[in-house]
Amino acid sequence: MSSPERAKSGAKPGLKPAPKAAKAKAAPAKAVAKSAPAPARAAKAAGGAGRTAPADKAAFLKAMAKGVAPNSAASRKLVEKKGSPFAPAPAAQAPRVEVLRRIPAPPVVVNTPESDAALQLAAAIERMLETGDMGKLQPHAQQALVASLCKLYAANQEAGERYAILGGRTLVAATDVMVVCGALLKAVDLQVFELGMWQSWSAG
Amino acid sequence: MAEQFVGKASEFKDGERQIIRIGEAEIGVFRHAGEFYAYSNFCLHQGGPACEGLTIARVEERLRPDKTSMGLFFSEKDMNFVCPWHGYEYDMKTGAHISDPRLKLRKYDVVQKGDEVYVVA
Ligand code: FES
Repeated sequence: MSSPERAKSGAKPGLKPAPKAAKAKAAPAKAVAKSAPAPARAAKAAGGAGRTAPADKAAFLKAMAKGVAPNSAASRKLVEKKGSPFAPAPAAQAPRVEVLRRIPAPPVVVNTPESDAALQLAAAIERMLETGDMGKLQPHAQQALVASLCKLYAANQEAGERYAILGGRTLVAATDVMVVCGALLKAVDLQVFELGMWQSWSAG
Repeated sequence: MAEQFVGKASEFKDGERQIIRIGEAEIGVFRHAGEFYAYSNFCLHQGGPACEGLTIARVEERLRPDKTSMGLFFSEKDMNFVCPWHGYEYDMKTGAHISDPRLKLRKYDVVQKGDEVYVVA
């Protein structure tokens, strides 16, 4: 038999044909080897050229019977191949935590002794409102308080210390604001249109 | 559901918030009064960023024994957070809508292990 014929029929020189049972055993390995390109191609190329040494052929057959050895070049190729049964099962991807935004805590207020005293007075006024003892803080005391707060707030604004006149945790009704604003304008003999003009001329 | 490391508790100041993404979910993690809370950042109203608005004490009306109103006050203990789009207000401890508690933001468990904070998602 010429070499090309041998290659075609699969007969190996110097080797007995494998018994049937052995052949059946090797069948799954063959199926694997079918998709194993490297050794098969190498062997085919060698066999096709007719220059393969019997030892090489024996090695090839052993490889065919064994299947693809782990960690061999062939197995690595198979692992890389998409959809290959040798490819590792895709690991369950752990979702990653991505920080999108950090929202800082509101600034901490540090009280001075004067602020503490003012807060105590404000709390006392709130208690008076709760209990209905509105006359406890007499008008002259209220006038002094409102006047000094007006001056202090305006001076801070002038100095560039801009802040809202009412804090976030204050519940003042809109009606109360209108009553007080109207009274303040009246006290300094201003009309609402004058306030409007001043606001349109300045950034106030 | 797995515990996802969010950060160190020592670097998470009280009153601070973090908006994080875990997989598909966008989550707001709050630290309030030493406790951690985590809710879905998708508002039940129209999908606004529910956890990114104001945090504000609950407004409560105090009544005298004869049921006359003493006015509105800010609660000393209950805190809410407000969706910045249209003002849906949610309870910090439960994620429930203030006026209709049947509506609840999806809540995520927060686990603290030593100094490490994890969100279960
Ligand atoms: S989307 Fe949040 S209040 Fe409308």
